[in-house]
Amino acid sequence: MTTPKLTLSNRDALGARRGRRLMYAALVLLALVFLAPLVWNALYALKSRSESASTDVHVLPQSAEWGNFHRALTMIDFGRYTVTTFMLAGIFALLVTASSALVGFGFARLRGRGRKPLFTLMLATTMVPQILTVIPTYVIFSKLGLVNTYWPWVLWGLAASPFHVFLFRQAFAGLPRELEEAAILDGCGYFRIFWQILLPLVRPVIATSIILAFTFVWGDFITPAIFLNGDNTTLGVAMAAGYTDGGITLNNVLAAGTVFYVLPVLVLFFVAQRSFTRGVATSGLKG
Amino acid sequence: MTLLTRQDPATGHPVARAGRPRGRRWKRYPTWKFYAFVSPWVIGCLALTAVPMGYALLLSFTDFDGLSGNWRWVGLDNYTTAFHDPVVWASLRRTGLYALIAVPLSLAGGLGLALLLNQRLRAMGVFRTIFYLPSVVPVVATALMFKLVFDRDTGLVNGILAWVGIDAVPWLIDPHAFTILIMLSLWGLGGGMVIFLAGLQAIPAELLEAASVDGAGPLRRFWHITLPVLSPMIFFQLVLTLITTLQTLVQPLLLAPAVSGGAGGGATDATHVQQGDFLYMVNVYAQFFSYQKYGYGAALLWILFLVILAVTAVVLRSSTSWVHYEVDQDGSEQ
Repeated sequence: MTTPKLTLSNRDALGARRGRRLMYAALVLLALVFLAPLVWNALYALKSRSESASTDVHVLPQSAEWGNFHRALTMIDFGRYTVTTFMLAGIFALLVTASSALVGFGFARLRGRGRKPLFTLMLATTMVPQILTVIPTYVIFSKLGLVNTYWPWVLWGLAASPFHVFLFRQAFAGLPRELEEAAILDGCGYFRIFWQILLPLVRPVIATSIILAFTFVWGDFITPAIFLNGDNTTLGVAMAAGYTDGGITLNNVLAAGTVFYVLPVLVLFFVAQRSFTRGVATSGLKG
Repeated sequence: MTLLTRQDPATGHPVARAGRPRGRRWKRYPTWKFYAFVSPWVIGCLALTAVPMGYALLLSFTDFDGLSGNWRWVGLDNYTTAFHDPVVWASLRRTGLYALIAVPLSLAGGLGLALLLNQRLRAMGVFRTIFYLPSVVPVVATALMFKLVFDRDTGLVNGILAWVGIDAVPWLIDPHAFTILIMLSLWGLGGGMVIFLAGLQAIPAELLEAASVDGAGPLRRFWHITLPVLSPMIFFQLVLTLITTLQTLVQPLLLAPAVSGGAGGGATDATHVQQGDFLYMVNVYAQFFSYQKYGYGAALLWILFLVILAVTAVVLRSSTSWVHYEVDQDGSEQ
């Protein structure tokens, strides 16, 4: 800060320090509360079967039962659910990013009658409750034989998503006009301008879009619960169904499974926290 | 010198122009290219939003049960039934109560945390990450973790309470289930916090310094500078949170206790949802997937859509009195 500090008396400085300490204490306490469910789940995953059923609650597991993680992977068809989830999330993320980049480019760099109302309409559709379309779509898709296949995710991906379009539109609109003008002079078509000149310049947005779309599908519950059945479902739905052994639910094994389920999202979050923040902040900054 | 090009309308050849001022419209390519580029969204929106909604509207005038081919038109019967259905009213009241509590709390909480973290202090990045983290955890995992934390017999909270000498509280069933539902939604308030934090950091420091030179205390600076500058963001968050909250379905389903007890199980069955968590969409879901009343469910969906539209319209109308726009809203021209 280059601005000169306003004069502070000693008492003020002392009060400020005390306030600061109080604030840190409050923040640490809050942070503990926010972390508690995650930490408790991780610790629970290590509890033995008898301890996880005992009403004598200890924060730290009495003995670390690492076998729970193995059980979590083998008691249910974990691998298959993981592959399904990964495929759905990957297919959707790649397709929705490609289609949204195209649409975003169109809104940012091209002109046509009705461009503005169309853009406004697109933003307005984000206000349509998603659940309102999901259930009727299920009824239609079940008649078309698309239920219990990957097709719904392919179609949703191809259809572009207003939120992702918005991200790309903002990014493309911020690039200088000169880039494409030079290209036009050289006789370059618009698709090539999009593909070869402008798209490489918005790589961070591509990453953001893929990461957000991937985590969205990875964490989605209601769509796979409705559109997929039984063995073909995703990890999220499988976790919601839980682990049972002879009619007894195994919460410790489930906690271990939950750790595996959450881990990819957390890793993505820590590796690409900026992407998450950008996604959230861009959507929030503009009305 | 910059070269701006335009296409000759007759020949389609690019024409170079030098030093032309910006901002004026010029045609340099056929407009079908614009439509070609935006067509994925236009077609997708028609096929995957408009058609399903229209189909739901048609269904809402029938007694379709989802399986058999025999259905008939029943006119507005589904809507009049809904109007006289005590379950619909109860679930609507519950949803309203949920929104009235959860929306202001999560907005205020997010803003409060953002204000705390906006001060230039050490380790703020760590705190920001910790508060933000829960909002990216998948909802299934969130619900499962909450069930473990709040389990009556083996949960962390009752463990702590027992240590202090308080009897075990059955958190996951009525009348406490609703409290847990609200806590679960508050756990994710970090998303709003990040947005507010971005907004706070965009406030020019000179503005706040000038105000404090003029003798404005922290409260007045917050009330007269920070809040007005943030108001478009708060407004946008309010609308989004409100819409998502009114259509809440998954959290009550996932928090519902399984028949056999334990954290998992029964999540796709709306009939185990506690009365306190029996939100509007839970009832709709049950009508579709537990009772196969597709026509009735579709009518309920459309009623919710109209309710959400009305609520949004009211909030939008109110916005003129409290949302402060400093610059032109339209950011499409640079």
